[in-house]
Amino acid sequence: MPGFIVRHAKLFILLALFLVMFWLVTFQVKAGRLTFMEGPVLAISGFFERVFTAPFRFVGSAANHYVFLVRTSRENDRLKQELDRLRLENSITNELLIENERLREVLGFAKLRPLSSVMAQVIAKDSSPSSRTMIVDHGTTHGIEKDMAVITAAGVVGKVQTSLPGTAKVLLLTDPGSTLAVRVQRNREEGLLEGKLDRCALKYVSYYADIQEGDLLVTSGLDGIYPKGLPVATVVKVSKHEATAFQTVIAKPAVGLSRLEEVLVLTK
Amino acid sequence: MKTRTYLAILLVIIPVQASLFSPLSLAGIKPDLAIALIYIIGLLTGPTEACLAGMAVGLVQDIGSASLLGMNATTLGLAGVGAGYLGRRVLDIASPMNVIFLASFSLMQGLVISLFLQTFYGAVPFFSLLITRLVPEAVYTGLLGTFLLRFMNRRNVMSLLMRRSLLKE
Repeated sequence: MPGFIVRHAKLFILLALFLVMFWLVTFQVKAGRLTFMEGPVLAISGFFERVFTAPFRFVGSAANHYVFLVRTSRENDRLKQELDRLRLENSITNELLIENERLREVLGFAKLRPLSSVMAQVIAKDSSPSSRTMIVDHGTTHGIEKDMAVITAAGVVGKVQTSLPGTAKVLLLTDPGSTLAVRVQRNREEGLLEGKLDRCALKYVSYYADIQEGDLLVTSGLDGIYPKGLPVATVVKVSKHEATAFQTVIAKPAVGLSRLEEVLVLTK
Repeated sequence: MKTRTYLAILLVIIPVQASLFSPLSLAGIKPDLAIALIYIIGLLTGPTEACLAGMAVGLVQDIGSASLLGMNATTLGLAGVGAGYLGRRVLDIASPMNVIFLASFSLMQGLVISLFLQTFYGAVPFFSLLITRLVPEAVYTGLLGTFLLRFMNRRNVMSLLMRRSLLKE
């Protein structure tokens, strides 16, 4: 017996390593993800990512600012029109905001806090097939901390998972480890949105809840990370099974996560 | 492979995959450098070394991303064993069949991860994930890996990366 083990020592060592890995993975399913050595690895990879992307960013910026000036005049006209439209919308929104504040005061509700944000550039995306993350070029030096919400004008992107000086890792809402408290905009049904790699799934929605394809899911604000009312995802599939008390709802993120270049990190 | 080759791989695998490969992305699909590298290491060295390399690269990926620690290490370790046996018994570096085998390895890795997520967390849109992500990514990875193999199949590149004893073989 010992002779057999010695002859196949390599095989037994590899088998033992696989068993350790498998135990580690199943242990984390119950106990939560281990974040061993995350900071140093992010620091090293963040450094190389900034170095690798610097020439692309330089060339891209130079091309946008100095080379592709052909359409600038047309673009300028379009932006002026857009600005006029947004000014009008802004004045209407301001009126509604003032009215809302006044009514909140009458009803004795707490005052709304203004949001402040930091714009960050995406320098890397999806480093592993089993998760969905991205790295941005701003970190603790710019006031970015763990668990801050990351958004764009189109909606929620995710939240900050790790932040170091000059770089931060963002957990996208499609990552399997991401959960987000949401509400169906149409009828205020609540649920928990979990990441499923390219899509999201709305969990713990009652079998009898009225959810339809095309419904917009917005943040409910209950998780204390995302402000209330931000667009998150659109329902693309609803399936009900007699055996369970819940229904399976699959949703597509409102933001095109694979095409992101800049994001806003909500620092307050 | 030389120790310094492995150190270089461990150091730059995440930044290269996450930032340098982004411009190669087609409709959000980009090739998976890690599995392509482990496949190549498997063909060149053998199952034991490729398995250990796969586990090491996978662990770095797990730490650097948001994966459960050990998830990519397990799948890449298994891919290393498979590629190592293929290299020993079936294939050589120049074979065009490498595209198919590498694409199959990439697809298998995606399927294992999806099945794991389905088992422990549920509600994974399996079919849409397979069609829109896993299959295109596997094909893209197969093509990239074969291109890398062609590039590495030159004496000067090999001598830069491999130990002398392996080159003699």
